[in-house]
Amino acid sequence: MSIHLSKDGKTEKSALWKPSRRRFLKSSAVASAAIVSGLSFTRRARAADTIKIGFVSPKTGPLAPFAESDEFILAGVRAALGDELTLDGTTYGLEIIVKDSQSNPNRAADVASELLLSDEVNLMVVSSTPETTNPVADQCEVNEVPCISTVAPWQPWFFTRGGQPDKGFDYTYHFFWGLEDVIAVFTEMWSSLETNKSVGGLFPNDGDGNAWGDENLGFPPVLASQGFTLTDPGRYQNLSDDFSAQISAFKQANAEIVTGVMIPPDFTTFWTQAKQQGFTPKIASVGKALLFPVTVETLGDAGHNLSSEIWWTPSHPFSSSLTGASAKDVAAAYTTETGKQWTQPIGFAHALFEVAVDALTRSGDPSDYDSVRDALAETKLDTIVGPLDWSAGPVKNVAKTPLVGGQWRLGGDFTYDLVVTSNGSAPAIPTGGAFEAIA
Amino acid sequence: MTDMSVEKPGASVSRATRESKIALPILIVLVVFLAAAPWWAGRADMRLMVEIFYYLVLAQMWNLLAGYAGLVSIGQQAYVGIGGYMLFIGTVFLGVHPLAAVIVAGVAAAILALPSGALLFRLRGPYFAIGAWVLAETFRLIFAQVSALGGGSGMSLPTDIVRSIADGRSAREAVVYWTALGLAVGSVVAVYYLLRSRFGLALTAIRDNEEASGSLGVNAWMTKFSIYIIAAFVTGMTGALIFLQKLRISPDAAFSVNDWTAFVIFMVVIGGIGTIEGPIIGVIVFFVLREFAADWGSWYLILLGTVAIVVMLKAPKGVWGYVAERWGLSILPVARRLDLNSVLDPSRKSRH
Repeated sequence: MSIHLSKDGKTEKSALWKPSRRRFLKSSAVASAAIVSGLSFTRRARAADTIKIGFVSPKTGPLAPFAESDEFILAGVRAALGDELTLDGTTYGLEIIVKDSQSNPNRAADVASELLLSDEVNLMVVSSTPETTNPVADQCEVNEVPCISTVAPWQPWFFTRGGQPDKGFDYTYHFFWGLEDVIAVFTEMWSSLETNKSVGGLFPNDGDGNAWGDENLGFPPVLASQGFTLTDPGRYQNLSDDFSAQISAFKQANAEIVTGVMIPPDFTTFWTQAKQQGFTPKIASVGKALLFPVTVETLGDAGHNLSSEIWWTPSHPFSSSLTGASAKDVAAAYTTETGKQWTQPIGFAHALFEVAVDALTRSGDPSDYDSVRDALAETKLDTIVGPLDWSAGPVKNVAKTPLVGGQWRLGGDFTYDLVVTSNGSAPAIPTGGAFEAIA
Repeated sequence: MTDMSVEKPGASVSRATRESKIALPILIVLVVFLAAAPWWAGRADMRLMVEIFYYLVLAQMWNLLAGYAGLVSIGQQAYVGIGGYMLFIGTVFLGVHPLAAVIVAGVAAAILALPSGALLFRLRGPYFAIGAWVLAETFRLIFAQVSALGGGSGMSLPTDIVRSIADGRSAREAVVYWTALGLAVGSVVAVYYLLRSRFGLALTAIRDNEEASGSLGVNAWMTKFSIYIIAAFVTGMTGALIFLQKLRISPDAAFSVNDWTAFVIFMVVIGGIGTIEGPIIGVIVFFVLREFAADWGSWYLILLGTVAIVVMLKAPKGVWGYVAERWGLSILPVARRLDLNSVLDPSRKSRH
């Protein structure tokens, strides 16, 4: 690969062509006008009577399945509000500006600051994995604009941002479940079957994997106290193509349970190789990888009875504070409109806007950042993902949502259906069957 | 501009061109105008310009490597990442002021570039390119193992450290802006003078024929190695600046081949490789495209790819290469020109 070019374009000059300075000036004027308009494009003045909500989500890239339902949710929110917000008799325009993080934390920080500085949003909402929520929340914290985030367990959101439990953050608020919940759900599922209590752990070296595998705050101490033995072959890199080392370690330990928090392609690789190498545990409870039906479908029949944490289903007994629609209604509308099976982020994407609208409405002055922040901190709202209350959180700035566990089963309404089997931590959420071993 | 023309009877060798003489005062005014941005630009504009400036520096450095030293590296993200992490190590663990940490980051990148360069320089052409990428991935994996830096999860820059840059938000933003402007202008000026020096002459000789240049006493290895270290130093400082603006670092963000090398190659190739003006044009083209099309999702990336293909087919020397060839322009000339007009046209006597 060699690039040989003239150091200076001035080596040859066409004799036929007479330089026209006017032409050059004209084209450069056009170019500079384009640049200037490009800049001024980012300097839209904020209309006093329009409230803006910025929304960052990974519309493209590997995290795109999380954002698949965004358009549907946004259409529903816009229809419910009619692009307006009324409080204390004053009607404000409401604009929701959506930016794509491209599943890239660098880009997430960039689009967040575009929203903060050029669109001058009054409130930021952000969703889907620490790689999206954290850079956006950091920009909001420094720029002193309130931010609501979700769909990332609270520990990687809180601790890797340098959060201290007593101090918390000034402008950034988060709602989701935490590791303690997923540990409780997983161990509940595992205890409902007769096993040798030998667990193989697959934790990648990323935000989630480090938190789940943490010696003090993650799975290891809780499993030890409940009599499980954990075989943890160490952190692997995402997008690995060979899990032989892990599989042979699990076989050696005679692991009947496999757990971890994996990205979907890695779980597919692992599960396929485990089958090839004759390793079939009774239970496979894996976070993150098994959220979307499309991942389970790629496994063919081998996806039957794989288990996962469940944060939201159409059978959750909750309804929207914005539209009054129940979880069942929203999921059914999604399937009717898009022809696709419901996914868990639907509920949370909707809840983000419930919280946002609620905080803006209670703020007194939705154009004042601190008023909105104060209203947000005092939120007590029954949403489509359950009741939210920031004063009851495990740490400052965090509100928890209920978590249950369940399995993917063949032969229901869709190719695979997600069935709630374990609701010990949230009995209000009905189960759809008992926990079964992988055949 | 120093008049480097050598008077010879009847003919002269000059470096300055008519455009360059006109352009110099315009460029100076432009830099002064840009330096005053904190007084006339909005916060969003300043942030965008900081981003433009650091991409300009990365583009100039990649161009210096590939366009002048023939070192096509797809691993420059290694030094962006090291610089970024040095900012966090320096400010969070060593208590260095963020701006001082930018310099520290450059020095650290240059020091790490010494063994890395020595290793990579055993490879040539495409092997060098891939080797550089492998090296950057190695750095990414190493930083992902350091739990004090958050491992694979990364870490955020504490708000207190961001506030320590300067008193108040506008002062802080102005300081970051000037640092970025300084790096951008500094890199263009440095490359310009570097290429006009003996060193630049050696580089040109190596580029044209490495063996022949060796016979004339040019130490090709040392010349290229020095360029590699200089590029690492400047890229490292830029990395620190980038993550001072991003506020959060993780191995994937810091050592992103897409963000810190692929886009930069796009800019240099579109603008015109092997010219100082080219990267500037390329950066402008990239940002104009991004401002208008970034919200198109995947179509935006498809658009970038299409633009790159069209430019490579229709104007292989990039936009500036095309302009310079057709109109015979050179705003920042680094070549020597033999001017024979004074021989052919007796009415134009050389000045005395």
